[in-house]
Amino acid sequence: MVTKPSTTPVTQSAPRVNNEIEVGEDLEFQRKWWRFENLVWILFTLIIVLDMAGLFGRGPIAKAERHAADGTIDVKYERIERTDSPSILTIDFGPSAIHDGKIKLFISESLVKGLGTQRVVPAPTETTIGEGGLTYTFPASKPPAAVDLALQPSGPGIYHFKIAVTNAEPIQAKIFVVP
Amino acid sequence: MAAVVRAFVGYFFLVLIVRIVGRRPGKQMTPFEFVLIFFIGGLALTAMVGDEVSYTNAICQIITLGSAHYTLAWARTKSKRLARLVDGTPLILLESGNWRSETLHHMRINADDVMASARDSGLKTLQQVDRAVLERNGEISITPKDNA
Repeated sequence: MVTKPSTTPVTQSAPRVNNEIEVGEDLEFQRKWWRFENLVWILFTLIIVLDMAGLFGRGPIAKAERHAADGTIDVKYERIERTDSPSILTIDFGPSAIHDGKIKLFISESLVKGLGTQRVVPAPTETTIGEGGLTYTFPASKPPAAVDLALQPSGPGIYHFKIAVTNAEPIQAKIFVVP
Repeated sequence: MAAVVRAFVGYFFLVLIVRIVGRRPGKQMTPFEFVLIFFIGGLALTAMVGDEVSYTNAICQIITLGSAHYTLAWARTKSKRLARLVDGTPLILLESGNWRSETLHHMRINADDVMASARDSGLKTLQQVDRAVLERNGEISITPKDNA
């Protein structure tokens, strides 16, 4: 025996217009929604402008540069980075950074782990671990001389880092990584 | 874990985006359903997926997306307030020979859009239209005058 389908009587589902047609318009709600939409559009515009300015990375605001007080190194980097997005941190060496035809550069562990250093260009001839970081050795003649670190942060957060030539003034800064 | 959260947040973010962008006239899917196309076809391949291109990740994210969609669809049937928020309400564009100019302005619709729907309903002029309503799915429904 086939069971009959369950049914319910049809009733008015939406308010009628002029008692003629069921439309279900709610103009009061819609006016509130339009006001909300306007606010959201302002927010969207603000986000786009801030993004172009670099507040979320990859723009003028994001670019930063630090100089060691003793002139050994200048570091150019992006103070705001994006998760899993590559960027370059450039270290320019001054004449006082070179000793016996070598540069010994210390970078803190946060640059390797948190900020995800993928490559060091040029490759160092020697890498020593210790003191909470890595010390790279590069053969060098005279300035201009620079080393690039290719970064690719694996997750969002604030990462403090330290870069220094051995026995010289360090540069300490932080990079904010957005999701 | 993070990929599932990304999919979940991404889905609701796109629901908001599509809702804010608004309804445009035409026979089309509801903005609500558009989210699926947007999500799976576009952003899922970039920010949502990232470098996690495994089969497991794809399965988990699609299940998350399906669950979020199902939950929202279910919640809409339980709450009229939520249904209004997600879908909006029908809006009268033309009534008894008068335009609802406030609605036309905010919904970015002009007389040509209404006339196109009127022609689709077999009417020759706007004067033959008794009422034009922008439906929740973006379609303009036309009620002709009795003598049209």
